Amino acid sequence: MLILSRKINESIVIDGRITVKIVRIDRDVVKLGIVAPPNVPVHREEVYEEIRRSNQEAITEGTSGVPRLSASARPSRIPTPADAGSTIQPPKQAEVKTGSETKPKESP
Amino acid sequence: MPLGLLGFEQFKSYRLYSRPSQEPFLWLKALEDPKLAFLVLSPFLVLPSYSPKISDQDVEFLGLSGPEDALIFNIVTIRRPQQATINLKGPIILNRHTLQAKQVIPVNASTFTVAHPLPVQAH
Repeated sequence: MLILSRKINESIVIDGRITVKIVRIDRDVVKLGIVAPPNVPVHREEVYEEIRRSNQEAITEGTSGVPRLSASARPSRIPTPADAGSTIQPPKQAEVKTGSETKPKESP
Repeated sequence: MPLGLLGFEQFKSYRLYSRPSQEPFLWLKALEDPKLAFLVLSPFLVLPSYSPKISDQDVEFLGLSGPEDALIFNIVTIRRPQQATINLKGPIILNRHTLQAKQVIPVNASTFTVAHPLPVQAH
């Protein structure tokens, strides 16, 4: 493992296209600012691992054994996020950038 | 699905289809590997108030201009006969116009579980 020392507001650059910046240090919590192209997913490791494991378990072989949902959960059409008042918002114009650097992300 | 599913990043093309006898479940099957198939379900059937907050980056990645552009499916795990769970923490968001999809981790993911029990009918 490569280990680098960085001070607050200093960054590292990975592969010329991913920047990781030390934004704040507060006792045992370090806040990182990450700028990466949209096709580079950035996740907290434990959440990524949890979903990866869940996906792995969910692989379904064959098409038998599919349960039937209780009657209450069988509508006549597939509901959409709009039905649930979902929080998908169009990105604000100011946030739409051209080029590759469109993904600032903070992680505690 | 340009980024694949988490843990299956190499498989990017899927077919989403239903079998009448198994509705409202749908199948999500990798085109590159016929053995890779997932049972998915609209989460709103089980949790009408389900409201994952999709990050600006994901909204932009998928080219969504509002909730009406999106369909959401969540992956179902069959634990044993008549016992199944649904992963609410990693929903698959599909742009219904471009058919581009992504398994996202919502901003409020910590409020959801990967194994929410499904109300399954006994035989």
